[in-house]
Amino acid sequence: MNELEEKFGQIYFAVLGAVGLAFGAAELIASAGEGFTWGILDSSGAADPTFLPWRAIILLSAGFFYLSSVKDFAEIHQLAKAVLGSIMIWIVAGMAIWSRIASSIPGEETWFNSLEGFLASYAPPYCPEMFLLPFSLVIVYYILKEKEAER
Amino acid sequence: MGHPNVGKSVFFNRLTGAKVLESNYPGTTVDFTKGWMRFGGEDVELIDVPGAFSLEPKDRAEEVAVKILEENRDSVVICVLDASKVERGLYLALEIIERGYPVVVALNMWDVAEDKNIRIDAEKLERILGVPVVPTIAISGEGFKELVSKIKEAAPVKIEKIIENAGGVESAAVSG
Amino acid sequence: MLKVPLSVDERWNLIEKISKQTVEFGARKHTLKDAIAELTVKPLTGIPVAIAVLYGFWSFFIDFAGTLFTDGFMVRLFDEHWLPWLQSVFPGGLGNPFYALLVDAGHMENGVLVASDNCLESFGVLTSGFFVPFGVVLWAVLAFYLMFALLEDVGYLPRLAVLVDTVLHKIGLHGYAIVPTFLALGCNVPGVTATRPLETRKQRFMMITLLSVFVPCGAQIGIMQDLVPELMGWIFLTLVIGYLGFGFILNKIVAGKSPEIIMDVPPYRMPMLKNIVSKLWIRTSRFLLVAVPFVLLGCLIVGLMYLTGAMDWLATVLGPFLMSWFGVPGETVAPLIAGFLRKDLAVGMLGGLMEQGIMTTFQVFTSVVLLCIYFPCLATFALMLKEENWKEFLGSIASLIAMVLVYGGLIHLVGIMLGVA
Repeated sequence: MNELEEKFGQIYFAVLGAVGLAFGAAELIASAGEGFTWGILDSSGAADPTFLPWRAIILLSAGFFYLSSVKDFAEIHQLAKAVLGSIMIWIVAGMAIWSRIASSIPGEETWFNSLEGFLASYAPPYCPEMFLLPFSLVIVYYILKEKEAER
Repeated sequence: MGHPNVGKSVFFNRLTGAKVLESNYPGTTVDFTKGWMRFGGEDVELIDVPGAFSLEPKDRAEEVAVKILEENRDSVVICVLDASKVERGLYLALEIIERGYPVVVALNMWDVAEDKNIRIDAEKLERILGVPVVPTIAISGEGFKELVSKIKEAAPVKIEKIIENAGGVESAAVSG
Repeated sequence: MLKVPLSVDERWNLIEKISKQTVEFGARKHTLKDAIAELTVKPLTGIPVAIAVLYGFWSFFIDFAGTLFTDGFMVRLFDEHWLPWLQSVFPGGLGNPFYALLVDAGHMENGVLVASDNCLESFGVLTSGFFVPFGVVLWAVLAFYLMFALLEDVGYLPRLAVLVDTVLHKIGLHGYAIVPTFLALGCNVPGVTATRPLETRKQRFMMITLLSVFVPCGAQIGIMQDLVPELMGWIFLTLVIGYLGFGFILNKIVAGKSPEIIMDVPPYRMPMLKNIVSKLWIRTSRFLLVAVPFVLLGCLIVGLMYLTGAMDWLATVLGPFLMSWFGVPGETVAPLIAGFLRKDLAVGMLGGLMEQGIMTTFQVFTSVVLLCIYFPCLATFALMLKEENWKEFLGSIASLIAMVLVYGGLIHLVGIMLGVA
């Protein structure tokens, strides 16, 4: 990657890491007591309270991974940390989405859900993981860049 | 035959169309499976054996492998080697050659070796060993056609011949 | 002149000669894949990743098997359609022995025999016998093997092994033990077979014994998750403590060595859809072939024992012992008997008892754990016979009985001390 890309990556993942830490901390607090909902962001973990502390740990770690990758970002061992951070977010966010899909298909009284019920399953609020998901995808660009360089 | 996790089961499934579990970790196959493959117009039996590091068995899975080898004295052995760790694989291949089996060597995981920047002169290896040597990538099926066509060329080789080709060997007796 | 076969040294010497002429090691540069591979085995970075991976595994499992298939479709299919339909068209009716055996045994409520309203209470071969494997367990097994195949093919499993190596060393096992353990979480049978690459008899003996006692299979996990989701954390915790604790003890008392196992960590690979689908098919169909006949047979045997009064007799005879030692009621005899054949059916029967409201939460917890540990299912038992010599086999059985008595009693004791029993 060139210098500009490295600079951008550093700033970008520093911010994303900080946000990840904040979200993780919010979930950790929520799992101990009151969670907060802010607009369409819901960190109370109401959808799946059992595993909330685990998700908090994963988010916190992902945040740390991002932050620790910032220094000397272009070096592959550092970049790898950011990649792993993103992979962890993909796992938790993917499962949050999968959970919605799984509960959206069967209906309450009927075999299959009605169209309204189906769509309603995907309505906000969303958990912090789902917010981080699109932003974590930026890493794909860097992975492809690195792959290109390896050839 | 070959070390654990070099792709023997993938070979087997590819060649026979059978369905044996394939996984990316050592020790997936712990028992043997027999299958049939079309070869030069006739059906030939092929046996998938558990991975073994050498012919002196250390665990149950290796025992199975060695037993099958001994029970099938007149068969051709396809030695599957991890191309990124050739030396270890050659040890087993030499043991099998010494016991007088006709051998075909498959240098599998050729792609992994390339990734690791390891280059193997397959033709030269073939000249030294005196048995067919074919680079393969089992997962994608590269090199299979060549491998199958070379099974016919497999013949027992005297180890002395290999030593001669390699330029001699220091005898253990000399070094103590 | 050299002698054939060559000595080990001579062979290596020859290989060195050959490789010098044919192999060329280029400058080795770390790739991104290598860097990731490294990070996933270092504890500081590897453990968070492992948590994320296991979380993903478990979440997928719950939502696929529980939310989508079992609760979403199967419960409705079996309880609202299949059971009422059979109850209405099957000749005999409540109280008829034939009907009781095949469709619905019913249960006593205020001295009156009433019909069951779900497929766990009914205990019939055609109702419970079909609901357990097809309504619950099939989906759990499918979900488990799908995730498992993914982990296998990516190459993550050996890395998990490296991570847990230090912990398992303390109980005389090695990181490799995670492979049979993980496999056994799908089904104990392949788990036991996967102990073959262990080098010494001691290691194999320990591994087989620990697996068959403390590792619940996917079928069992699926139905437990369906019945008592809120207790799962405690159940797993209890089992893990038992696994490590008894592993530690076995390591001390069993003679023999536990040498180092050198396991290759394979490179990460992109999984291939074709391979995953074919593995899923092989394993799931194998499961169905083994499980379904045993579940049906188990239903039949338990049903017959109820009809002939043998079950009530056993409950009266064993009841006091079960109550005083483990703190569970005599009625649990029926699931315990079914558990000799299939664990999933046994847990399902426990579910039937729960719905009749005769057990406290702690008793449910204890009996679920007891069902896990008291005896391997018949298929595993048969395999143990084959894999071990008779001395080891007797040893396995003896340690199994000892573990159940000690651990089951211990759980009861802890319950009493905490005031929940």
